[in-house]
Amino acid sequence: MQRREFFKISFAASAALFGSKSSAFATSKPIDTQKVSPVLFPEKKPLIVHSDRPPLLEAPRTTFTRAITPNDEFFVRWHMPIIPTPINMDTYYIHIHGEVEKRLYLRVADLKKDFKPVEVTAVMQCGGNSRSAFHPSTSGIQWGSGAMACATFKGVRLKDVLAKAGLKNSAEWISLNGDDKAVMAKIESFKRELKIDEISDDTIIAYEMNGREIPFLNGYPVRLVIPGLYADSWVKQLSDIYVTKEYQPYFFMDVAYRIPDNECECEEPNNLAKKTKPLEEMNVKSYIGYPDNQMQIQSGTNLRVKGVAFDEGYGIKNVFISLDMGKTWQQATLGKELSKYAFREFSYNLKPMKKGTLTIMAKAVNNKGEEQPFAHDIPWNHGGYKYNGIDSVTVEVV
Amino acid sequence: MKKIIILMLLCFVSLEAVYTEKVKVPSITFAIEDDPNIRVMQRNCQWCHSYGYILNQGRQSKEFWHKIVLKMRDVYHAPINARDEKIATEYLYKYYGNGREKEGY
Repeated sequence: MQRREFFKISFAASAALFGSKSSAFATSKPIDTQKVSPVLFPEKKPLIVHSDRPPLLEAPRTTFTRAITPNDEFFVRWHMPIIPTPINMDTYYIHIHGEVEKRLYLRVADLKKDFKPVEVTAVMQCGGNSRSAFHPSTSGIQWGSGAMACATFKGVRLKDVLAKAGLKNSAEWISLNGDDKAVMAKIESFKRELKIDEISDDTIIAYEMNGREIPFLNGYPVRLVIPGLYADSWVKQLSDIYVTKEYQPYFFMDVAYRIPDNECECEEPNNLAKKTKPLEEMNVKSYIGYPDNQMQIQSGTNLRVKGVAFDEGYGIKNVFISLDMGKTWQQATLGKELSKYAFREFSYNLKPMKKGTLTIMAKAVNNKGEEQPFAHDIPWNHGGYKYNGIDSVTVEVV
Repeated sequence: MKKIIILMLLCFVSLEAVYTEKVKVPSITFAIEDDPNIRVMQRNCQWCHSYGYILNQGRQSKEFWHKIVLKMRDVYHAPINARDEKIATEYLYKYYGNGREKEGY
């Protein structure tokens, strides 16, 4: 009862958006009970499998104790069932065409030879990560929280590649396409559209991930990396860059992956927002990698809580830990900032003395002052996007 | 000399190739409820995706499933005829429904 009261006070603002209807639907914690599958996928450790075709693989909680996600634990999400294997790298091209002075066919070897290499460490997160928290459940894969990862990507600036082709004055937009294919020939492939003057220096065409070739299931041989933005823009097996004067409407930009265009980016199941916008920047989030739920902890021994925090690129200012269901918060120790777009490790030492269940909560605050809301205060949206509720794990002190 | 250069080039090429054959993604059976109408699911859904996509949508209303069937037909061009549209919707709602006719609360 007391706890309920506290939540009401601290999130009066978000509750007000729904008025009295807020009790009609709710957000809870995302599911955290799914087990990794014994079936091994190429170059991957056992992961949680949502589908084999197209492959959808999620990392378990234990992955998130380190700032860099190893390639074999990096989540997988494809939209199309046919993923070709690029075998002959002499005939794998990125075709740059449209409103350019010179049409280019770049091989990966050309990217390495003719452009300045750039490294970016950044979080990649599926827009629907943690979707299972939303009720009523929304359309889409009911991910737990493991559709996210962080890696050091090496490649070349998208800007540099466009400059080499020479943009015409009329060039305003680029549309990016990968080599993965649908079964039915008529289906539009998974294309993304970017506005040319919004392309940052950190946006790269990557050919390496954590010092190695990008794994097949993560988009070998090249993928787009757009730090700060959700992964639906990070085109895999990039093969086509089409420069245009005007915006090209695509299903995955104009129908899917859209969120309400209002202050709270929220809506009600019976009253969907009329105006929507594409899903773009991420929000501040943290996740506990250790301990895992239901773990047994010896009373009177040291327990080191570990996890990761990130946002869309302002950088993490603080992570706080609560052991009393969010009534009081203590500061966690932050690890080195690898980049403002990267996972920031946090840790917190405690010695649980009292036997019984112990719930550990983590809340991140970014440099802009934005902080994570409690799980049940996250407002609903029809796609189940952008969940960033305070994470918690409950262990058994014995 | 020419031979050596060609040999060197070949070496370079083979070093570059990470995958020498098609990468195989394992196949997993996601079992959906058996029913005489499972055939409708077999002939319409599996062209493009595993049943994992059905199981991982969570329990949903009849209206939700109907919209999904229409999306598969209209966006992804699944060859769903009018009869199958109805049967697939009924099947999905019967086994993966949340007891509500309409979406929302």
